[in-house]
Amino acid sequence: MAKKLIELKDITKMYDGTAVVDHINLYINENEFITLLGPSGCGKTTTLRMIGGFEKPDSGEVVMNGAVVNDIPPYERPINTVFQRYALFPHLNVYDNIAFGLRNQKVPKAEIAERVENALKMVSLPNFALRKVANLSGGQMQRVAIARAIVNKPKILLLDEPLAALDLKLRQNMQYELKEMQRKLGITFVYVTHDQEEALTMSDTIVVMKDGVIQQIGTPTGIYNEPKNRFVARFIGESNILDGVYVRQNLVSFMGAEFDCVDTQFADGEPVDVVIRPEDLDIIDAVGAKLIGEVSSSIFRGVHFELCVMVQGKEFVIHTYENRKVGEHVGLRVDSYEIHLMKVEHVEH
Amino acid sequence: MGVRKKEPGRITRYLRRPEVEKVLQSIANVLKYAFFAFFMFLMYLPIIVIAIQSFNESTGLIYQFTGFTFDHWKNVLTFNLDSSLMKAISTTLLVALLATGISTVLGTIIAIGIHSLPQKKRQGMVFLNQVPILNADIITGISLMFVFKIVAEVIPGVFGIPSLLIAHVFFCIPYVVLSVLPKLAELDDNLYDAALDLYCKPAVGITKVIIPAIMPGILTGMLIAFTMSIDDFLISFFNAGQVNNLSIYIYGGYNRRLAPEVYAYNTILSTVIIVALIAMYVSSSLKKRKNLKREPRHA
Amino acid sequence: MNIKKLGKLALPYLVWMLVLVGIPLLMIFILSFMNTDGVSFAGATWTTAAWEKMFTLADTTNLQILGYTFLTAFVATVICFLIGYPMAYIVARSPFSNKFVILILTIIPMWSNSLLRNVALKNILSESNILDSLLSRIGLSFSIVFANQDQATFISIVIGLVLTFLPFMILPIYTVIEKIDESLLEASMDLGANRVRTFAKVTFPLSMKGVTTGIIMVFLPCFSGFAIQKLLSSGTVYVLGSLIEVNYIHDINFVSMLSIVILVLIFGSMMIVNKVDKEGATLV
Ligand SMILES: Nc1ncnc2c1ncn2[C@@H]1O[C@H](COP(=O)(O)OP(=O)(O)OP(=O)(O)O)[C@@H](O)[C@H]1O
Ligand SMILES: [Mg+2]
Repeated sequence: MAKKLIELKDITKMYDGTAVVDHINLYINENEFITLLGPSGCGKTTTLRMIGGFEKPDSGEVVMNGAVVNDIPPYERPINTVFQRYALFPHLNVYDNIAFGLRNQKVPKAEIAERVENALKMVSLPNFALRKVANLSGGQMQRVAIARAIVNKPKILLLDEPLAALDLKLRQNMQYELKEMQRKLGITFVYVTHDQEEALTMSDTIVVMKDGVIQQIGTPTGIYNEPKNRFVARFIGESNILDGVYVRQNLVSFMGAEFDCVDTQFADGEPVDVVIRPEDLDIIDAVGAKLIGEVSSSIFRGVHFELCVMVQGKEFVIHTYENRKVGEHVGLRVDSYEIHLMKVEHVEH
Repeated sequence: MGVRKKEPGRITRYLRRPEVEKVLQSIANVLKYAFFAFFMFLMYLPIIVIAIQSFNESTGLIYQFTGFTFDHWKNVLTFNLDSSLMKAISTTLLVALLATGISTVLGTIIAIGIHSLPQKKRQGMVFLNQVPILNADIITGISLMFVFKIVAEVIPGVFGIPSLLIAHVFFCIPYVVLSVLPKLAELDDNLYDAALDLYCKPAVGITKVIIPAIMPGILTGMLIAFTMSIDDFLISFFNAGQVNNLSIYIYGGYNRRLAPEVYAYNTILSTVIIVALIAMYVSSSLKKRKNLKREPRHA
Repeated sequence: MNIKKLGKLALPYLVWMLVLVGIPLLMIFILSFMNTDGVSFAGATWTTAAWEKMFTLADTTNLQILGYTFLTAFVATVICFLIGYPMAYIVARSPFSNKFVILILTIIPMWSNSLLRNVALKNILSESNILDSLLSRIGLSFSIVFANQDQATFISIVIGLVLTFLPFMILPIYTVIEKIDESLLEASMDLGANRVRTFAKVTFPLSMKGVTTGIIMVFLPCFSGFAIQKLLSSGTVYVLGSLIEVNYIHDINFVSMLSIVILVLIFGSMMIVNKVDKEGATLV
């Protein structure tokens, strides 16, 4: 059993009378790479800031190693942060930025020099010590920010969209490097992003948030394959979501036809949401198919084609390796284990 | 390319020929800089006259240059001045230095406070802060005089250096605040949090991170405060009690001859300020150049 | 910055401002409708005497002074604008890599005592002046001759005001023009506007913020001051400020009333500045 390092117990944070973070419960294990994922403004940063101690929850408890730390200020927590847009000290050079935390902890000079040097190597910026931070490129600033945090050997590293400002190529490189770094250093990473691909690639655990409420916690594959609701299904990759009815065990009906399925936790006759990923739909002959439609568009996406097929006035997105002409009549097929059923959410608004 | 217009006429076409355009352009440039230089010169004319007067030997006729002398300069530099001028100058400098120091510290703290307010309140405070700047000096002077008159009922000695100093601090603070606020706005929102994250206590976070990062703004504010304080007449006039500062001294002598040392003092002071600023500027740009030179090796 | 707690650092300033701005303003308003002995209200009664002293047709001396003050201030401000705008524009758009130097040149005069500069100016404007005295040594002469004393006084005052407050017109305008994005001008030219049109339709409207501030920063001191006017007229001319100067010890009620006249103008300007420049970016 992994050791619980941090627990958020029923945390709520209000701004101007609205709950920005709404009764969330979450625990973070030692050495885990956990990602808070959600659209802009959903409360990711706020959650992270409460873990870091920059913000106090209005109710609930932040527990660290079994002790409540709500009132412990950031400078007394074994946590360091890589801030959104880095927050490097503009009046200090790279070396002094990285040495900043060590100096405040009264680490001996010689040791500081050594640790800063190692940290710079770690982020592949050797020989950058005397550079002014204002003259660095985005990617370099970002590395300095990481070095400035990890040089303190924190138990937990909080990273708030650290790669958001980088171009695609660099971002992918840094994703890999960060993951490597986490493995090597054995630090717990709490990572914030609104990029689902990034979350899927890097995380051990993903926490999907929306409007301050946790929608689902799980492994990347778990969340991708078995989204709990429409929001998660839509947010994590593309999905075809359909209204259906759970007829009985292993049988579901939608689009006027009945399909075998493997989900079992519903009552007979219960309405369900049906999720089918675009890559799980196969194009077959129209003749004899349960789902028949007309190709309305086709876009080449590099490796695959993205087809849109209109079936009974409902548009299906399909990823396939062989192209079909627009206007062509095709049939669609899906394997029983690739039909995923979700409980229908009570519409709240 | 622009929108097509109707065909230009012959004169326009002639004027648009490259060689003609070049000549016209350079004529325009000459006129432009002549205009600039002329009014610059006019602004400097009184200062030139002040400088000339500081070397004028004439003791009687003020508008005659009778001979060259260093005596006035010598008198200023050896503090050999008649007592009323000496008092005026020392009051001016004392008040200016104290007011600059106090208002720089207070103004910086206030600016940090204002910056940390929520937007609505911040805008309100920024507006309030502008009041002394936009207010006519004479109103500020009278307003403060009213307050000091009331205070004087309780503390009779308030008129004089104390009231003068408070008045100067009052009108200097807004300039410091206005110089510091934009620097604060430029800072990364998380800078202070980053300091706390890296084990700074709150007060240390401010002195170690925020203050150095906004230093250029603080220095600008300081310079403006000093400039305003040293030159103030109107506000001081109503709040100096029996004390004179240099402006009041000069004003009081509007119809008679000023001690020639005034000219020497003024010339010396502005020279010192200008030299100091140029030195600061040169040393900072040298530093910059050195940094630039050093960097490629680490790249 | 997340230093919400630091917001309370601004609180004492609010109190300080209320005491040093709010209370006196209230006093000025009340005192202008009373006859008091200094700031003591003992035995005082309500009266509009102070107002009548100014706005009466029986004796228009004070109204004439008000008119003369306005005229000098207005003329000086217009001239400051006509000279200051092109100067600011020239500096801001100059190819000089180092505008700092030119800017410092604009500011240097401010480090000479402004009253002393006007004393020197008065010297220059006198018939026999120090420049003439110097130039005569090499056989030249320099002297400005006016048609009559009134004209001499008026022109001297206007020149004094202009030369004293010109930097306050140049600096805010410079600040805004400097900030105008070069690409906006290119965009305008690209869209078919020539230089003149670009200036009229893009640069000038965008520099209005600085112009407003500049005009206010020049007009208010020109309108409310008295020292420059007194120096340059050798004490022969009265302006609004002179009335305050003469009465500030003995007739506080009249002084309060005069302050209100000035305050009305200031209040208007503040409204304008607050509209066009919320963060006070052009004030320093
Ligand atoms: N200091 C604050 N005062 C008032 N409201 C705030 C404050 N900080 C955050 N909010 C609000 O709380 C909500 C959540 O903000 P938060 O920064 O946590 O979002 P986020 O998920 O990090 O978004 P993003 O991806 O854009 O960074 C937003 O609606 C934001 O406007
Ligand atoms: Mg965020």
